Amino acid sequence: MSVEHWQAALHEVTGVAGVRGALIISAEDGLVIAETAMDDLATADVAALSAALVSRAARCMAAMHTAVPQSVYLVGEFGAVLAVAGPAPLWLVAVARKDAELGRLRLLMRDFAGVLG
Amino acid sequence: MAFLELGERLRQRAQYAAAATVALAGLNHYPADPDAHDLLARIRADQGDDAAATAAWHAALECDADHVGARKGLAFVAFRAGDFVAAERHLDVAALRAPHDTTILAALDRVRLVQRRSDSGDTPRLTDPVGGVLLFDTQGLRLAGSAGVSTDVATADAASAEGASFSREAVRAARLLALGALEYVVIEAADARVAMVPVGAHASLFLHRSAATPVGRILTLAGRAAHAARDWLERVE
Repeated sequence: MSVEHWQAALHEVTGVAGVRGALIISAEDGLVIAETAMDDLATADVAALSAALVSRAARCMAAMHTAVPQSVYLVGEFGAVLAVAGPAPLWLVAVARKDAELGRLRLLMRDFAGVLG
Repeated sequence: MAFLELGERLRQRAQYAAAATVALAGLNHYPADPDAHDLLARIRADQGDDAAATAAWHAALECDADHVGARKGLAFVAFRAGDFVAAERHLDVAALRAPHDTTILAALDRVRLVQRRSDSGDTPRLTDPVGGVLLFDTQGLRLAGSAGVSTDVATADAASAEGASFSREAVRAARLLALGALEYVVIEAADARVAMVPVGAHASLFLHRSAATPVGRILTLAGRAAHAARDWLERVE
């Protein structure tokens, strides 16, 4: 998939009501590969924290003898971070407000994450 | 293999001694065949020897950890013994291997129905291994429960240790990204879904379910488990 297609996918994700930003990150080093986000969203922080979270999630699942994570959703009092695995080491990450349609966002991200490569 | 068919026919005719002789002779030739162990186990179960049946089904699982017949058999023995939790656990694993086997799904429904009746009014139990409820403190020490379908203590301890690190990372991410207090994290994999919820300031829990379980249901169950865990912690403290 080209950079233009990545940007189109990110725009689709941010088109969901309540989504503040969408990123493609490298889970290996926690760096942003591509992004579309509101100005006030610190995307570098999102990438680093998401990569750390995904890495910890993988260790938990390994400890429980289950398969590697395909997605990780963190939901807090005011918002959520959704991360869905693409072709390694890429992950599609979105940051959303609490009132966002998380169910729809999850499905959309799964569709796009599979074709990031 | 011919001896399997012969043994099964004899079993169905209630000629258990002859069926066992055939099964044991087959096992002499094929000791690593899970179907042969499964046959012997069913014969023993029909003879009312649940201990021998259980041993034979465990032998089948040593040959094939996901052997559907052995899982169904162990579920049957557990159900007969009134251990509905173990029965559901074995059927859950069988359903993963054979998701379209309607006999397994029907058995699961029955076990859950009976379990609900016997547990009516009860909240999720922290020692419920099929529930896959694992409670651990912020230092990574296991407080109660087990990890996923495994009842292995070492697995639960390892998951607790990793869970505490994961919980800290999640709380940190929520704080630094201005998401407020952490409510839950869901991890999805090809074979399982796991929810992690904080339980007060000093503990968290994992609720583990098969990948077929809807996320919303997992969150509902995790919420109930967290409530039960808070009550339990207050009683313990």
